[in-house]
Amino acid sequence: MTAYNRRTLIVGVAVAAVIAGVVSYFASSAPDGLEKFQEDQGAAAPAYPTVEAPPIAFQEYNFNGLGEGFWANAVAGVVGIGLVLGILLGVGRLLRRRCPVAPVGDDRAATRP
Amino acid sequence: MHIASGFLSPPVWGTMAAVSGAALAGSLVVARRHLDERRVPLMGVMGAFIFAAQMVNFPILLVPGTSGHLGGGFLLAILLGAPLSMVAMTSVLVVQALVFQDGGLEALGANIFVMGVVPCLLGASVRGLWLRPQPGRLADILTFACGALGLVVSATGVILMLWLSGALPSAVSLAKAVLVMDSVHLLIGMVEGVVSVLVVRFVLATRREAVLGTVEPLGAGEVAA
Repeated sequence: MTAYNRRTLIVGVAVAAVIAGVVSYFASSAPDGLEKFQEDQGAAAPAYPTVEAPPIAFQEYNFNGLGEGFWANAVAGVVGIGLVLGILLGVGRLLRRRCPVAPVGDDRAATRP
Repeated sequence: MHIASGFLSPPVWGTMAAVSGAALAGSLVVARRHLDERRVPLMGVMGAFIFAAQMVNFPILLVPGTSGHLGGGFLLAILLGAPLSMVAMTSVLVVQALVFQDGGLEALGANIFVMGVVPCLLGASVRGLWLRPQPGRLADILTFACGALGLVVSATGVILMLWLSGALPSAVSLAKAVLVMDSVHLLIGMVEGVVSVLVVRFVLATRREAVLGTVEPLGAGEVAA
């Protein structure tokens, strides 16, 4: 990996981790615009059968077993950004591998015979 | 603005799933041409950043008892173009729905539409302004305006979906529902607009090569796409 990309990853992950792991704990717990609208207008109850993922490891943005404190939120935030990052790096790598020709100016082009 | 489970009728969420699924499939096909080596890590960390930013609900001071959070698709599309930003926003929304019960599973397509397709197209439409050598005040102003507009369009979309699903309370007229949702989301959208300008300027200053990319045609072609 080039130094450029390593730096992108390190700085990006650090910023995201601070926001998801620390700053988000101090976020407003008030309902968001849509929830508030539904509550105020008396339409907060689902009208159809609900299909939600089971809370296997997380109860919303809290890690199960740690209650609802700082660390439950921090673990949720860090795991969440890790999952998104992992999926996107994986998808990115897959898509690039399937690309028949290295894009112009690509670092791979320089190393090709 | 994640639509929770149980509020959309099967025809509505089915249609939205089909539309968003088609948009994602198209994005994945086109994305290959947009992925040079520097953009894969940028896409990854920007997706992680948006997941993080969406966890931070800020109070809307003018509407007590209400909060809002960033959408992020708009800013991703400016930095990455429409196809890659669609891939990134879909990943964020899928993780939120599958792991954190944020947004109903059957409403995933609808949520991808309002927080992915709509803002990603709007962001891509102003991306060209930022690819110039010296983006000026015009880029700031149009980005702010389109960022705010995006949330209003999406909020209207959510209300229309609820209305089509028969999930609006009968006491509220459609017009009033749109007015209430749009005014709140205009305020959230103004925050989205300001944050988008600041983040785009920061990433452009530090990771210009990755933002510009080396593959896709720059300038007018990008706007048309």
